[in-house]
Amino acid sequence: MHVLIINGSPRVKKYSNTDKILERFTQGMCENGTTFEQYEVSDRGSWDRIRRAYMENTCILIALPLYVECIPGLLMEFLETLSPKNDGSGMGFILQSGFAEGVQLRCGEAYLEMLSGKLGCEYLGTLVKGNNFSIRFLEGKQREKTIGPYREMGREFAAQGDFKSEACRRFTGPEVFPGYVRALVGLMFKTVAKKGFAQMAKSLGCDKPLDYRPYS
Amino acid sequence: MILIVNTTNDTSVTDELKKNLAGNGAEAEILEAGSLNISPCIGCNHCWLKTPGECTIKDDYEIILKKVIHADQLWVISDTALGFIDHKGKNIYDRILPIATMYLQFVGDQMRHVPRYKKLPDLGLIYLGEAEKAYLQRWNARAALNFERKSLGVFERNMVKEAVACMC
Repeated sequence: MHVLIINGSPRVKKYSNTDKILERFTQGMCENGTTFEQYEVSDRGSWDRIRRAYMENTCILIALPLYVECIPGLLMEFLETLSPKNDGSGMGFILQSGFAEGVQLRCGEAYLEMLSGKLGCEYLGTLVKGNNFSIRFLEGKQREKTIGPYREMGREFAAQGDFKSEACRRFTGPEVFPGYVRALVGLMFKTVAKKGFAQMAKSLGCDKPLDYRPYS
Repeated sequence: MILIVNTTNDTSVTDELKKNLAGNGAEAEILEAGSLNISPCIGCNHCWLKTPGECTIKDDYEIILKKVIHADQLWVISDTALGFIDHKGKNIYDRILPIATMYLQFVGDQMRHVPRYKKLPDLGLIYLGEAEKAYLQRWNARAALNFERKSLGVFERNMVKEAVACMC
């Protein structure tokens, strides 16, 4: 099997969480001979090449971050330039987000199923997972803890040819957190997480409080 | 204040809105954004972590952002593509990120970003062309939920009067 992978993140490859996820996913996917080619929508100069690859390949994966409950505007701009295939091609998706709960991604997932039909492709399912905001700020084992599990999902996709298995469904994690977890995490948001965000901001050279209001 | 952002190049819809709004008494401002220079969000997160509240992309979107924080309602008029709003319409929502902070909280049983400003708008949508209306209704409600606000509804081009009835 040869897979066309389109990274639909508007973020440049170097800082793309989606790209880090794809690194591990493709490692697993290629263990038993599956091959792939990957393109980045953030690189507008490659759009002609992506369009050609879209027409030439029959197994297409689009990986993307959730932007305001659906696909990012830049990815939409690219997709608007495609013609429906209607040649039996399959299209699947890897949808990731910052918010951790599965329920946060369901509206976006519903659109992706619709989108594959609009592009004349068979829907291969969507691998849904949140809690990925910090990937680019993490290093070593901490980063691996987040992206490592995608390796197994790559193996699963190579074996099944889609994301419709029980293993893929379970990969999402909880739809919502139980009350006691929300209470604990809510406390962490006010303490540990705030400190972590302040450190991230400092590393980027921020000199204002994170709740600063420039237009008040 | 009601802010109406027309991302299409069709001003007949805003002409019709103006006529219908004349007798409605609502304070409304219409922005013709079809010809404005508005780039897509690039997800740099600088508006949360480097220049809080300010977008790193310096283009015409700042005009909209400065008005959104004073609006009770935000209506977007958008063309459609692939069953959804087109990229110009979607960019209006994606670029709104600076009105939220990096901080997180639970609202009900779901995570939300803590709003940067006290006032945030309810959301309404008017679309031109073919789209999956049931999906747009679901999506608009979810988008509004992000701001802890409500959906004002989703309306086709030929339902301007019905949309205006929700502008008050």
